[in-house]
Amino acid sequence: MTPIAHTVGADDMVAYLLADVAAGAEISLQGAATGAVTAQDAISVFHKIALRPIRAGETVWRGGWPIGRATADIAAGAHVHTHNLVSAHATTSGHGRHRGGGTCAHP
Amino acid sequence: MVRGPETFRGYPRPSGRPGIRNHLLVLNATGLTDAAARRIAGALPSTVFAGTMFGMGMVGRDAELHLAALSGLAVHPNCGAVLLIGADRTRLDQLIAVLDRDGRPYAALGLDEVGHDAHLLSQRSLALGAGLLRRLSAQQPQDCPLIDLLLACECGLSDPSSGLAANPLLGRVADWLVDAGGSVMLGESIEWLGTEEELARRAATPELGRALKQAVRRRLDLAHAAGLDLLGTNPNAANIKAGLSTIEEKASGAVQKAGTRPIRSLLAYAETPATPGLHFMDAPSYSPESLTGFVAAGAQMILFTTGLGNSYCSALAPTLKLSANAATAGALGRQIDFDASGLLAGRTMDDMAARLIEEIAATAAGQLTYGEIMGEGGEAISRFGEAI
Repeated sequence: MTPIAHTVGADDMVAYLLADVAAGAEISLQGAATGAVTAQDAISVFHKIALRPIRAGETVWRGGWPIGRATADIAAGAHVHTHNLVSAHATTSGHGRHRGGGTCAHP
Repeated sequence: MVRGPETFRGYPRPSGRPGIRNHLLVLNATGLTDAAARRIAGALPSTVFAGTMFGMGMVGRDAELHLAALSGLAVHPNCGAVLLIGADRTRLDQLIAVLDRDGRPYAALGLDEVGHDAHLLSQRSLALGAGLLRRLSAQQPQDCPLIDLLLACECGLSDPSSGLAANPLLGRVADWLVDAGGSVMLGESIEWLGTEEELARRAATPELGRALKQAVRRRLDLAHAAGLDLLGTNPNAANIKAGLSTIEEKASGAVQKAGTRPIRSLLAYAETPATPGLHFMDAPSYSPESLTGFVAAGAQMILFTTGLGNSYCSALAPTLKLSANAATAGALGRQIDFDASGLLAGRTMDDMAARLIEEIAATAAGQLTYGEIMGEGGEAISRFGEAI
Protein backbone atom coordinates (compact mmCIF):
# COMPACT_ATOMS: atom_id res chain seq x y z
CA MET A 1 0.00 0.00 0.00
CA THR A 2 1.36 3.42 -0.92
CA PRO A 3 2.12 5.53 2.13
CA ILE A 4 0.00 8.67 2.39
CA ALA A 5 0.84 12.19 3.52
CA HIS A 6 -1.87 14.63 4.58
CA THR A 7 -2.02 18.24 3.38
CA VAL A 8 -4.04 21.10 4.90
CA GLY A 9 -3.79 23.78 2.18
CA ALA A 10 -3.38 23.49 -1.58
CA ASP A 11 -0.17 25.60 -1.47
CA ASP A 12 1.40 23.88 1.56
CA MET A 13 5.19 23.51 1.55
CA VAL A 14 5.05 20.41 3.79
CA ALA A 15 2.79 17.38 4.23
CA TYR A 16 2.30 15.08 7.25
CA LEU A 17 3.10 11.37 6.89
CA LEU A 18 0.32 9.05 8.08
CA ALA A 19 2.76 6.12 8.48
CA ASP A 20 6.49 5.60 9.01
CA VAL A 21 8.31 5.63 5.66
CA ALA A 22 11.79 4.59 4.50
CA ALA A 23 14.01 6.74 2.30
CA GLY A 24 13.07 6.23 -1.33
CA ALA A 25 9.40 5.55 -0.61
CA GLU A 26 6.85 6.94 -3.06
CA ILE A 27 4.24 8.89 -1.12
CA SER A 28 0.84 9.99 -2.37
CA LEU A 29 -0.80 13.13 -1.03
CA GLN A 30 -4.32 13.45 0.40
CA GLY A 31 -6.23 16.46 1.65
CA ALA A 32 -6.13 19.87 0.00
CA ALA A 33 -3.22 18.97 -2.30
CA THR A 34 -2.86 15.93 -4.51
CA GLY A 35 0.08 14.32 -6.28
CA ALA A 36 3.10 12.35 -5.11
CA VAL A 37 6.53 12.91 -3.60
CA THR A 38 9.55 10.66 -3.04
CA ALA A 39 10.93 10.53 0.50
CA GLN A 40 14.63 11.48 0.67
CA ASP A 41 14.89 10.40 4.33
CA ALA A 42 13.31 7.85 6.64
CA ILE A 43 10.44 9.80 8.21
CA SER A 44 8.25 8.87 11.20
CA VAL A 45 4.48 8.93 11.27
CA PHE A 46 3.02 12.48 11.61
CA HIS A 47 6.40 14.06 10.84
CA LYS A 48 6.68 16.46 7.91
CA ILE A 49 8.01 15.98 4.40
CA ALA A 50 8.99 18.90 2.13
CA LEU A 51 6.80 19.13 -0.95
CA ARG A 52 9.22 21.40 -2.82
CA PRO A 53 12.76 22.71 -2.35
CA ILE A 54 12.91 25.24 0.51
CA ARG A 55 15.77 27.75 0.80
CA ALA A 56 17.57 28.49 4.07
CA GLY A 57 15.87 31.51 5.67
CA GLU A 58 12.57 30.93 3.90
CA THR A 59 9.36 30.94 5.95
CA VAL A 60 7.60 27.58 5.81
CA TRP A 61 3.81 27.70 5.38
CA ARG A 62 1.18 25.08 6.19
CA GLY A 63 -2.58 25.62 5.96
CA GLY A 64 -2.17 29.35 5.50
CA TRP A 65 -0.01 29.71 8.64
CA PRO A 66 3.74 30.26 8.95
CA ILE A 67 5.14 27.41 11.04
CA GLY A 68 8.77 28.56 11.25
CA ARG A 69 11.88 29.48 9.28
CA ALA A 70 14.16 27.05 7.45
CA THR A 71 17.68 27.02 8.93
CA ALA A 72 19.16 25.10 5.97
CA ASP A 73 18.34 24.40 2.36
CA ILE A 74 15.76 21.61 2.32
CA ALA A 75 15.27 19.31 -0.69
CA ALA A 76 11.84 18.21 -1.87
CA GLY A 77 11.09 14.92 -0.10
CA ALA A 78 13.35 15.66 2.88
CA HIS A 79 12.30 15.40 6.52
CA VAL A 80 11.35 18.84 7.92
CA HIS A 81 11.75 19.12 11.67
CA THR A 82 13.78 20.83 14.39
CA HIS A 83 17.09 20.11 12.61
CA ASN A 84 16.12 22.43 9.73
CA LEU A 85 13.12 24.42 10.97
CA VAL A 86 13.09 26.93 13.83
CA SER A 87 10.45 29.11 15.44
CA ALA A 88 10.50 32.76 14.44
CA HIS A 89 10.09 33.35 18.18
CA ALA A 90 13.21 31.41 19.17
CA THR A 91 15.80 33.68 20.77
CA THR A 92 18.56 34.08 18.22
CA SER A 93 21.53 34.70 20.50
CA GLY A 94 21.46 31.17 21.83
CA HIS A 95 21.71 32.73 25.28
CA GLY A 96 19.23 31.10 27.58
CA ARG A 97 18.05 28.61 25.02
CA HIS A 98 16.50 25.64 26.72
CA ARG A 99 18.00 26.63 30.04
CA GLY A 100 16.41 25.24 33.16
CA GLY A 101 13.22 23.80 31.82
CA GLY A 102 11.64 24.51 35.18
CA THR A 103 8.33 25.54 33.71
CA CYS A 104 6.76 22.59 32.03
CA ALA A 105 4.14 24.00 29.68
CA HIS A 106 1.83 21.27 28.47
CA PRO A 107 0.88 18.42 28.73
CA MET B 1 -23.84 22.37 7.97
CA VAL B 2 -23.92 20.34 11.16
CA ARG B 3 -27.18 19.62 12.93
CA GLY B 4 -27.62 18.83 16.59
CA PRO B 5 -30.21 18.83 19.36
CA GLU B 6 -31.83 22.09 20.48
CA THR B 7 -31.75 21.26 24.18
CA PHE B 8 -29.63 19.35 26.67
CA ARG B 9 -30.45 17.60 29.95
CA GLY B 10 -29.56 19.78 32.91
CA TYR B 11 -30.27 20.28 36.60
CA PRO B 12 -31.64 23.80 37.13
CA ARG B 13 -29.77 25.91 39.73
CA PRO B 14 -31.02 28.87 41.76
CA SER B 15 -28.58 31.07 39.85
CA GLY B 16 -26.29 30.58 36.88
CA ARG B 17 -26.25 27.78 34.35
CA PRO B 18 -27.92 24.39 34.86
CA GLY B 19 -25.64 21.43 35.61
CA ILE B 20 -25.10 18.26 33.62
CA ARG B 21 -24.18 16.45 36.84
CA ASN B 22 -25.63 16.70 40.32
CA HIS B 23 -22.63 16.27 42.56
CA LEU B 24 -22.11 17.08 46.17
CA LEU B 25 -18.96 19.21 46.10
CA VAL B 26 -16.65 19.07 49.10
CA LEU B 27 -14.85 22.37 48.69
CA ASN B 28 -11.69 22.81 50.73
CA ALA B 29 -11.18 26.53 51.33
CA THR B 30 -7.77 26.46 53.06
CA GLY B 31 -4.59 24.44 52.61
CA LEU B 32 -4.52 23.47 56.29
CA THR B 33 -7.65 21.36 55.89
CA ASP B 34 -6.77 19.76 52.55
CA ALA B 35 -6.20 16.27 53.95
CA ALA B 36 -9.23 16.42 56.22
CA ALA B 37 -11.47 17.60 53.38
CA ARG B 38 -10.20 14.82 51.08
CA ARG B 39 -10.92 12.28 53.83
CA ILE B 40 -14.45 13.63 54.20
CA ALA B 41 -15.07 13.59 50.42
CA GLY B 42 -13.75 10.03 50.22
CA ALA B 43 -16.21 8.86 52.85
CA LEU B 44 -19.31 10.34 51.19
CA PRO B 45 -20.76 8.67 48.05
CA SER B 46 -21.30 10.57 44.77
CA THR B 47 -19.07 13.35 45.95
CA VAL B 48 -16.37 15.32 44.17
CA PHE B 49 -13.50 17.13 45.83
CA ALA B 50 -11.97 20.46 44.87
CA GLY B 51 -10.17 23.21 46.69
CA THR B 52 -6.86 24.83 47.38
CA MET B 53 -3.54 23.97 49.02
CA PHE B 54 -3.07 27.64 49.92
CA GLY B 55 -4.54 30.13 52.33
CA MET B 56 -3.40 33.21 54.14
CA GLY B 57 -0.54 35.28 52.75
CA MET B 58 -1.72 35.60 49.18
CA VAL B 59 -1.83 39.25 48.14
CA GLY B 60 -3.06 41.51 45.36
CA ARG B 61 -4.17 39.98 42.09
CA ASP B 62 -3.11 36.52 43.24
CA ALA B 63 -5.46 36.74 46.24
CA GLU B 64 -8.28 38.19 44.11
CA LEU B 65 -8.06 35.51 41.42
CA HIS B 66 -7.75 32.73 43.98
CA LEU B 67 -10.93 33.85 45.72
CA ALA B 68 -12.66 34.29 42.35
CA ALA B 69 -11.71 30.74 41.38
CA LEU B 70 -12.85 29.26 44.71
CA SER B 71 -16.11 31.20 44.41
CA GLY B 72 -16.60 29.91 40.87
CA LEU B 73 -16.04 26.33 41.99
CA ALA B 74 -18.50 26.80 44.88
CA VAL B 75 -21.34 27.70 42.51
CA HIS B 76 -20.30 25.45 39.63
CA PRO B 77 -23.32 24.26 37.62
CA ASN B 78 -22.51 20.58 38.22
CA CYS B 79 -22.72 20.99 42.01
CA GLY B 80 -26.16 20.39 43.46
CA ALA B 81 -24.93 21.12 46.95
CA VAL B 82 -21.70 22.22 48.60
CA LEU B 83 -19.95 21.16 51.79
CA LEU B 84 -17.42 23.87 52.66
CA ILE B 85 -14.45 22.90 54.79
CA GLY B 86 -11.81 25.33 56.05
CA ALA B 87 -9.47 26.17 58.85
CA ASP B 88 -10.48 29.74 59.47
CA ARG B 89 -13.82 31.45 59.52
CA THR B 90 -12.63 34.42 57.42
CA ARG B 91 -12.22 32.38 54.25
CA LEU B 92 -15.37 30.37 54.93
CA ASP B 93 -17.39 33.56 55.38
CA GLN B 94 -16.25 34.89 52.00
CA LEU B 95 -17.50 31.72 50.30
CA ILE B 96 -20.65 31.52 52.41
CA ALA B 97 -21.54 35.00 51.12
CA VAL B 98 -21.20 33.69 47.55
CA LEU B 99 -23.37 30.65 48.29
CA ASP B 100 -25.98 32.75 50.10
CA ARG B 101 -26.29 35.01 47.05
CA ASP B 102 -26.58 31.90 44.86
CA GLY B 103 -29.12 30.02 46.92
CA ARG B 104 -28.10 26.38 46.45
CA PRO B 105 -27.94 24.05 49.48
CA TYR B 106 -24.69 24.17 51.43
CA ALA B 107 -23.15 23.52 54.81
CA ALA B 108 -19.88 24.92 56.17
CA LEU B 109 -17.64 23.81 58.96
CA GLY B 110 -14.39 25.34 60.18
CA LEU B 111 -11.65 23.65 62.15
CA ASP B 112 -11.87 26.49 64.66
CA GLU B 113 -15.53 25.62 65.27
CA VAL B 114 -14.64 22.11 66.46
CA GLY B 115 -11.84 23.04 68.84
CA HIS B 116 -9.21 22.44 66.13
CA ASP B 117 -10.00 18.73 66.36
CA ALA B 118 -9.61 17.19 62.89
CA HIS B 119 -11.33 13.97 64.05
CA LEU B 120 -14.37 15.92 65.10
CA LEU B 121 -14.26 17.91 61.85
CA SER B 122 -14.51 14.65 59.86
CA GLN B 123 -17.26 13.23 62.04
CA ARG B 124 -19.50 16.29 61.95
CA SER B 125 -18.87 16.88 58.27
CA LEU B 126 -20.09 13.40 57.37
CA ALA B 127 -23.42 14.14 59.01
CA LEU B 128 -23.66 17.50 57.24
CA GLY B 129 -22.76 15.82 53.92
CA ALA B 130 -25.37 13.10 54.42
CA GLY B 131 -28.05 15.77 54.80
CA LEU B 132 -26.93 17.53 51.63
CA LEU B 133 -26.77 14.29 49.63
CA ARG B 134 -30.36 13.51 50.61
CA ARG B 135 -31.50 16.97 49.50
CA LEU B 136 -29.77 16.88 46.13
CA SER B 137 -30.99 13.34 45.41
CA ALA B 138 -34.50 14.80 45.10
CA GLN B 139 -33.45 17.15 42.27
CA GLN B 140 -34.45 16.18 38.72
CA PRO B 141 -32.90 17.16 35.37
CA GLN B 142 -34.99 18.82 32.68
CA ASP B 143 -34.57 19.96 29.08
CA CYS B 144 -32.55 23.17 28.99
CA PRO B 145 -31.89 25.51 26.03
CA LEU B 146 -28.45 25.48 24.43
CA ILE B 147 -27.97 29.13 25.45
CA ASP B 148 -27.26 27.68 28.91
CA LEU B 149 -24.46 25.39 27.70
CA LEU B 150 -20.82 26.46 28.09
CA LEU B 151 -18.21 24.10 26.65
CA ALA B 152 -14.47 24.59 27.07
CA CYS B 153 -11.92 23.31 24.57
CA GLU B 154 -8.44 22.15 25.54
CA CYS B 155 -5.59 20.21 23.98
CA GLY B 156 -2.85 18.33 25.78
CA LEU B 157 0.11 16.19 24.78
CA SER B 158 -0.57 17.19 21.22
CA ASP B 159 0.91 15.68 18.10
CA PRO B 160 0.33 16.78 14.51
CA SER B 161 -2.94 14.79 14.39
CA SER B 162 -4.34 17.29 16.91
CA GLY B 163 -3.90 20.29 14.64
CA LEU B 164 -4.72 18.39 11.45
CA ALA B 165 -7.96 16.77 12.57
CA ALA B 166 -9.01 16.68 16.25
CA ASN B 167 -8.79 20.43 16.86
CA PRO B 168 -10.55 21.38 13.60
CA LEU B 169 -13.29 18.93 14.67
CA LEU B 170 -13.71 20.87 17.93
CA GLY B 171 -13.79 24.03 15.86
CA ARG B 172 -16.67 22.66 13.81
CA VAL B 173 -18.57 21.74 16.97
CA ALA B 174 -17.76 25.16 18.48
CA ASP B 175 -19.27 26.84 15.39
CA TRP B 176 -22.38 24.68 15.76
CA LEU B 177 -22.85 25.56 19.44
CA VAL B 178 -22.18 29.28 18.93
CA ASP B 179 -24.66 29.37 16.03
CA ALA B 180 -27.20 27.55 18.22
CA GLY B 181 -26.88 30.24 20.91
CA GLY B 182 -24.49 28.51 23.31
CA SER B 183 -21.01 29.42 24.53
CA VAL B 184 -17.50 28.12 23.95
CA MET B 185 -14.26 28.92 25.77
CA LEU B 186 -10.64 28.52 24.76
CA GLY B 187 -7.56 29.25 26.88
CA GLU B 188 -3.82 28.46 26.84
CA SER B 189 -2.79 31.98 25.71
CA ILE B 190 0.74 31.05 24.66
CA GLU B 191 -0.78 28.75 22.07
CA TRP B 192 -2.31 31.69 20.22
CA LEU B 193 1.23 32.71 19.27
CA GLY B 194 1.62 33.39 15.57
CA THR B 195 -2.15 33.52 15.04
CA GLU B 196 -2.74 36.83 16.86
CA GLU B 197 -3.38 38.90 13.76
CA GLU B 198 -6.06 36.50 12.54
CA LEU B 199 -7.60 36.29 16.02
CA ALA B 200 -7.57 40.09 16.29
CA ARG B 201 -9.46 40.29 12.98
CA ARG B 202 -12.10 37.99 14.45
CA ALA B 203 -12.41 40.03 17.66
CA ALA B 204 -15.74 41.77 18.20
CA THR B 205 -13.99 45.15 18.69
CA PRO B 206 -10.57 46.60 17.76
CA GLU B 207 -9.89 47.08 21.48
CA LEU B 208 -10.47 43.37 22.09
CA GLY B 209 -8.18 42.55 19.17
CA ARG B 210 -5.40 44.59 20.78
CA ALA B 211 -6.04 42.88 24.13
CA LEU B 212 -5.72 39.42 22.55
CA LYS B 213 -2.39 40.38 20.97
CA GLN B 214 -1.14 41.87 24.25
CA ALA B 215 -2.10 38.69 26.14
CA VAL B 216 0.09 36.58 23.84
CA ARG B 217 2.92 39.11 23.98
CA ARG B 218 2.83 39.05 27.78
CA ARG B 219 3.19 35.24 27.90
CA LEU B 220 6.06 35.36 25.43
CA ASP B 221 7.78 38.10 27.47
CA LEU B 222 7.25 35.96 30.59
CA ALA B 223 9.08 33.06 28.92
CA HIS B 224 11.90 35.24 27.65
CA ALA B 225 12.28 37.04 31.00
CA ALA B 226 12.70 33.64 32.63
CA GLY B 227 15.54 32.89 30.22
CA LEU B 228 13.45 30.34 28.36
CA ASP B 229 13.37 29.87 24.66
CA LEU B 230 9.98 28.37 23.91
CA LEU B 231 11.74 25.76 21.85
CA GLY B 232 12.05 22.76 24.18
CA THR B 233 9.38 24.07 26.53
CA ASN B 234 6.47 24.52 24.18
CA PRO B 235 6.42 22.41 22.11
CA ASN B 236 7.84 20.10 24.77
CA ALA B 237 10.06 17.06 24.21
CA ALA B 238 7.11 14.71 23.72
CA ASN B 239 5.44 17.08 21.23
CA ILE B 240 8.71 17.35 19.28
CA LYS B 241 9.31 13.59 19.23
CA ALA B 242 5.77 13.21 17.86
CA GLY B 243 6.56 15.59 14.99
CA LEU B 244 5.67 19.13 16.11
CA SER B 245 8.65 21.38 15.34
CA THR B 246 7.75 24.89 16.53
CA ILE B 247 5.33 26.80 18.74
CA GLU B 248 3.79 28.39 15.62
CA GLU B 249 3.07 24.97 14.18
CA LYS B 250 1.54 23.78 17.44
CA ALA B 251 -0.36 27.04 18.02
CA SER B 252 -1.84 27.28 14.52
CA GLY B 253 -3.14 23.74 15.09
CA ALA B 254 -4.34 24.53 18.61
CA VAL B 255 -6.46 27.57 17.70
CA GLN B 256 -8.40 25.44 15.23
CA LYS B 257 -10.41 24.48 18.33
CA ALA B 258 -11.91 27.97 18.26
CA GLY B 259 -13.74 27.44 14.97
CA THR B 260 -14.46 30.48 12.85
CA ARG B 261 -16.99 32.65 14.70
CA PRO B 262 -16.34 36.13 16.16
CA ILE B 263 -14.49 36.35 19.48
CA ARG B 264 -16.69 38.08 22.06
CA SER B 265 -14.34 38.70 24.97
CA LEU B 266 -10.99 38.10 26.60
CA LEU B 267 -11.66 36.62 30.02
CA ALA B 268 -9.45 36.77 33.10
CA TYR B 269 -8.62 33.47 34.79
CA ALA B 270 -11.85 31.91 36.16
CA GLU B 271 -14.01 34.76 34.78
CA THR B 272 -17.49 33.80 33.59
CA PRO B 273 -18.42 34.97 30.07
CA ALA B 274 -21.07 37.72 30.20
CA THR B 275 -22.63 36.86 26.84
CA PRO B 276 -23.12 33.75 24.70
CA GLY B 277 -20.67 33.07 21.90
CA LEU B 278 -16.96 32.39 21.64
CA HIS B 279 -14.63 33.58 24.41
CA PHE B 280 -10.88 33.41 25.02
CA MET B 281 -9.44 33.09 28.53
CA ASP B 282 -5.97 34.50 29.20
CA ALA B 283 -4.54 31.59 31.19
CA PRO B 284 -1.62 29.21 31.58
CA SER B 285 -1.51 26.21 29.26
CA TYR B 286 -0.65 23.43 31.70
CA SER B 287 -3.77 21.24 31.75
CA PRO B 288 -4.64 21.13 35.49
CA GLU B 289 -4.64 24.90 36.06
CA SER B 290 -6.04 25.57 32.59
CA LEU B 291 -9.07 23.28 33.07
CA THR B 292 -9.79 24.70 36.52
CA GLY B 293 -9.85 28.20 35.00
CA PHE B 294 -12.61 27.04 32.65
CA VAL B 295 -14.46 25.14 35.37
CA ALA B 296 -14.38 28.05 37.83
CA ALA B 297 -15.83 30.15 34.99
CA GLY B 298 -18.75 27.72 34.81
CA ALA B 299 -17.93 25.33 31.94
CA GLN B 300 -20.16 22.27 32.35
CA MET B 301 -18.08 20.05 30.07
CA ILE B 302 -14.56 20.00 28.62
CA LEU B 303 -13.70 18.79 25.12
CA PHE B 304 -10.07 17.73 25.34
CA THR B 305 -8.04 16.63 22.32
CA THR B 306 -4.81 14.70 22.65
CA GLY B 307 -2.30 13.26 20.27
CA LEU B 308 -0.43 10.91 22.57
CA GLY B 309 -2.86 10.43 25.46
CA ASN B 310 -2.89 13.10 28.18
CA SER B 311 -5.16 11.47 30.81
CA TYR B 312 -5.90 14.54 32.93
CA CYS B 313 -9.54 15.51 33.53
CA SER B 314 -11.49 18.06 35.49
CA ALA B 315 -13.12 16.74 38.66
CA LEU B 316 -16.23 18.87 38.25
CA ALA B 317 -16.74 19.03 34.50
CA PRO B 318 -16.94 15.74 32.56
CA THR B 319 -13.92 15.81 30.26
CA LEU B 320 -14.40 14.14 26.87
CA LYS B 321 -11.07 12.92 25.57
CA LEU B 322 -10.67 12.84 21.80
CA SER B 323 -7.83 11.73 19.59
CA ALA B 324 -7.35 11.68 15.83
CA ASN B 325 -4.23 9.53 16.23
CA ALA B 326 -5.44 6.02 15.39
CA ALA B 327 -2.59 4.38 17.33
CA THR B 328 -3.44 6.39 20.47
CA ALA B 329 -7.19 5.85 20.19
CA GLY B 330 -6.55 2.12 19.71
CA ALA B 331 -4.00 1.69 22.49
CA LEU B 332 -5.95 3.83 24.99
CA GLY B 333 -9.44 2.59 24.14
CA ARG B 334 -10.63 2.86 27.75
CA GLN B 335 -9.21 6.34 28.25
CA ILE B 336 -9.99 8.09 24.96
CA ASP B 337 -13.75 8.66 24.81
CA PHE B 338 -13.98 9.57 21.12
CA ASP B 339 -11.92 8.22 18.24
CA ALA B 340 -11.63 10.95 15.59
CA SER B 341 -8.94 9.19 13.53
CA GLY B 342 -11.42 8.52 10.73
CA LEU B 343 -10.91 12.18 9.76
CA LEU B 344 -7.46 11.25 8.40
CA ALA B 345 -8.89 8.19 6.65
CA GLY B 346 -11.62 9.71 4.52
CA ARG B 347 -14.45 10.52 6.96
CA THR B 348 -15.89 13.98 6.43
CA MET B 349 -15.68 16.70 9.06
CA ASP B 350 -19.48 17.20 9.09
CA ASP B 351 -20.07 13.48 9.60
CA MET B 352 -17.58 13.30 12.47
CA ALA B 353 -18.93 16.54 14.02
CA ALA B 354 -22.47 15.13 13.99
CA ARG B 355 -21.20 12.03 15.83
CA LEU B 356 -19.32 14.14 18.36
CA ILE B 357 -22.40 16.29 19.03
CA GLU B 358 -24.34 13.07 19.75
CA GLU B 359 -21.59 12.08 22.18
CA ILE B 360 -21.75 15.49 23.87
CA ALA B 361 -25.53 15.19 24.24
CA ALA B 362 -25.21 11.67 25.67
CA THR B 363 -22.53 12.85 28.11
CA ALA B 364 -24.69 15.77 29.19
CA ALA B 365 -27.56 13.32 29.75
CA GLY B 366 -25.43 11.28 32.14
CA GLN B 367 -23.22 8.93 30.10
CA LEU B 368 -19.94 8.74 32.00
CA THR B 369 -16.60 9.65 30.47
CA TYR B 370 -13.73 7.24 31.08
CA GLY B 371 -12.15 9.93 33.24
CA GLU B 372 -15.25 9.96 35.47
CA ILE B 373 -15.27 6.17 35.65
CA MET B 374 -11.60 6.10 36.66
CA GLY B 375 -11.97 9.04 39.04
CA GLU B 376 -9.17 10.71 37.12
CA GLY B 377 -10.31 14.26 37.75
CA GLY B 378 -8.72 17.02 39.76
CA GLU B 379 -8.87 20.79 40.18
CA ALA B 380 -5.84 23.05 40.58
CA ILE B 381 -6.25 26.79 41.00
CA SER B 382 -3.42 28.71 39.34
CA ARG B 383 -1.15 31.07 41.27
CA PHE B 384 -0.15 34.51 40.09
CA GLY B 385 2.54 35.61 42.53
CA GLU B 386 4.43 35.03 45.74
CA ALA B 387 2.76 34.90 49.12
CA ILE B 388 3.75 36.58 52.35
